[in-house]
Amino acid sequence: METKPLVVVGAGTAGTAAAIEAARAGVQVTLIDENPIGASMMAMDVPQFFGRRTMDTVSDKDVMLQRVTAANGALAEAEAAGVEVQLGTCVWGAFRNTDTSRKLDGPQLGLADDKQSWVVKYDRLIVAAGARDLNFSFAGSDLAGAMGANGAHALLSRYQASTSRRMIILGSGNLGLTTARMALHSGVEVVAIVDVSPSVRGDGSLLQELRQNGVDVHNSHTLREAVGSEDGIESVVLVAVDESNEPVSGSEKTIAADTVCQAIGLVPNIELLSLLDCEISFKSELGGYVPDHDERMRTSVEGVFVAGDVAGFHDGMVLSPEIARNQGRLAGLAAAESLGAIDETAALARRTEIQAEAVAAQPVSVHSAWNEWLQSLVNAGGLDVFACECEEVTRAELIELQPPRYLNWQSEQMSLRSLQTQLQDGPVNPDQVRRLTRVGMGECQGRRCREQASLLLAAESGANIADVPFMSYRPPVRPLPLKVMWPHDETEEMRENWVKWFVPVSRVLG
Amino acid sequence: MPSNRADVVVIGGGISGLSTAYYLAKAGKNVVVIEKGVVGAEASGRNGGMISERTDEPDLVPLAVESVRLWPTLDDELGYPTEFVQAGRLQVAVSEAEMDRYLTEKKVGVRFGVHVDVLDPHEIKDMAPFVTDRNLGGIFFPKGAHANPQRTVQAFAWALQDRGGTLLQHTAATGFKLSGDRIAAVETTAGTIEADTVVCAAGPQTALFLEMLDVRVPLATARAEIIATAPLEPLFECALVGNGLYGRQAKKGNLLYGGGPHEWIDVDLTGDPDKPNTPLIRNIARRLADLFPGVADVPVIRSWAGVIEQAPDSLPIIDVLDRPSNFVFVSASAHGFAIVAATGRVVSDLVLHGETSVDISGLRMDRFGTVSPTWREELGWVPALL
Repeated sequence: METKPLVVVGAGTAGTAAAIEAARAGVQVTLIDENPIGASMMAMDVPQFFGRRTMDTVSDKDVMLQRVTAANGALAEAEAAGVEVQLGTCVWGAFRNTDTSRKLDGPQLGLADDKQSWVVKYDRLIVAAGARDLNFSFAGSDLAGAMGANGAHALLSRYQASTSRRMIILGSGNLGLTTARMALHSGVEVVAIVDVSPSVRGDGSLLQELRQNGVDVHNSHTLREAVGSEDGIESVVLVAVDESNEPVSGSEKTIAADTVCQAIGLVPNIELLSLLDCEISFKSELGGYVPDHDERMRTSVEGVFVAGDVAGFHDGMVLSPEIARNQGRLAGLAAAESLGAIDETAALARRTEIQAEAVAAQPVSVHSAWNEWLQSLVNAGGLDVFACECEEVTRAELIELQPPRYLNWQSEQMSLRSLQTQLQDGPVNPDQVRRLTRVGMGECQGRRCREQASLLLAAESGANIADVPFMSYRPPVRPLPLKVMWPHDETEEMRENWVKWFVPVSRVLG
Repeated sequence: MPSNRADVVVIGGGISGLSTAYYLAKAGKNVVVIEKGVVGAEASGRNGGMISERTDEPDLVPLAVESVRLWPTLDDELGYPTEFVQAGRLQVAVSEAEMDRYLTEKKVGVRFGVHVDVLDPHEIKDMAPFVTDRNLGGIFFPKGAHANPQRTVQAFAWALQDRGGTLLQHTAATGFKLSGDRIAAVETTAGTIEADTVVCAAGPQTALFLEMLDVRVPLATARAEIIATAPLEPLFECALVGNGLYGRQAKKGNLLYGGGPHEWIDVDLTGDPDKPNTPLIRNIARRLADLFPGVADVPVIRSWAGVIEQAPDSLPIIDVLDRPSNFVFVSASAHGFAIVAATGRVVSDLVLHGETSVDISGLRMDRFGTVSPTWREELGWVPALL
């Protein structure tokens, strides 16, 4: 099996900067990015929340490759620096030797394109996997046109393949405001920016620019529902909320729109770091669970580094891409130094140089704001809205810990059980809740429901969100068809020694 | 702080311990189950969910047959759903060796009066059109079944509580207090609990507890892996085994399949062993795609691994120690889920009456004779060097 000296996962701002930094130090770098994402994966809203507002061109891989390359100027710079760039390639697994996984032939990554999968070994790994869209549900959020800010950015800019015409944006932070600006530049009408907060959260001058372009901002409002047909969302109902995030009756207004874009927040993509068992801590100001790292962007696992949104995202980063770029440079430099490509003195000098360019930031906790959003959606839309769309489990069924509907189970005993009774046996355990209710068990691998489920469980159990563990991640962290996973490189030895189950020794011996 | 005395303390909130505790509570005993993490955290909640008469293991057949007989009554007995489906077990052969093993199972079935049909390749295709054309025939157990392990574990735990039993999660047993030739109490991270009888159903930790009592039991622990696909339209209701895989289609439609090489590991007394998956999940996917070529487009969305203990003959051990005399233990060698409907009754019978009507003579400790201190090394059942 091939061993790559340094693999960088994610060719966004941080990953590309990391790759360039390490390559310039003389390291042979492989930069991998899943964009352009296969059309089938986009239909499942994995990994971003695209909302099925895509042109047919997303099925044309060559066109998509050209656009992805054109949209990221730094990629050409990376290639010029000698970086091997693999686009359209996802990293679905990360494996390393541990006490209970000893036979593995060193640390390795599972990769795949839309046709096949393979495995590569690595000496050093920089995870710059970005962040995904925070998603809350509402009545009608299963219609085409419900999407997230990252999905919208990808469709509008990277792929130029959006079919949205009239967009409502939830969230008035910089994420929402920049999404609005990008939509306007792409010819999409932004009919409203909505936030439960009494005032706009994001940058004032950006807001002014949007207002001059006729964008309405509705503060102290939430979304009651989206209404539509098989073509998707056609209108939305907004409602004013009071200080307790309760809807103000009579304040409903219906607005025509074909897209609802949630730009409330982003969640770091920690899947691979979790598989590698890196230390992960809850930091609300960085978007929730994020990998621990030092100032050189080293994680707790030797040889594994992080950079960019995956290391923690805050709204200030939207306007200051230098933050992610600097992290990328530091990670690339640290990886190069640990490989011996650059000596300690030179590395120190360069690190000082990069750190001198650091941008000050004061990230603030986001979960209380997220919780206000969710509470307003629950208050306005009720508990019968699906918490998990893949598995069709409502918010009420989640907190009542009900078995899935298809079991059609009713008993007196079951009716007496709920999350509340479960809490008598121990702290809230999202994995256990997932197995009983199936919330998070679906095809999107929980990307659309994890945060909502955690916040609902925290609220219902009275736990601090920081004390609610994240639902575990398992490979493949992207849905991979059996025929794609099918190992062309399977060894003869594996075929010969395959056992269905344990072979009793008496049988082996006799 | 719970009461520091119980009629019976059960060590281990897995399926064998919880089912034993349930029947003891039902019989009026004051039972406390001690679980170091949450219920079903190891093999009990992570197995493939297969239930059958196990004619591949003659010594296990009486217990497995009794379990298959009782399984259909469990949902009503407990009051909670286990997702039990009894639609048979189809074993498809993709190699001559596989077919040879199946025919031996048929012979054992005849000996024990277990109904087993032998099918030719066309009959297999009639029953399961999506199975590979390369199949060489197979066998069918009409009484085979499957259920959801997580739900089943939780059902026993809840039903235990409904019967007045106590479940102490996040509480690890750490030792025993002896008095003469009896155990007087179990020491735990939440204090000492006096007990008339101790049932050890500690899964991977079983051998460690027995070691404290100077009893060497040949059990080694291993990690094994399973994959899950996205839901498909209903293809088959039976459990379907073949091409070196075991598994089922869950009620929701997901295919759940496991098999292949396992890895020997070590565990400690109170920790939760890591259960990573490995690139082996690709090889499992390949065998599944080869077994069901028509559905090779379905995405794999998840995988998991579990830790299980194994005796050299891959059979459960159910026994009562001579000394200390009030110590009963059960270890399932990966059969725990299939036999659970009977296990709880059998082990509770041993606690209550010192005997059971089910023939478990082939599952006692004495079948191993004297266990060599280096038995794991002799068999090569040791973790690889790191």
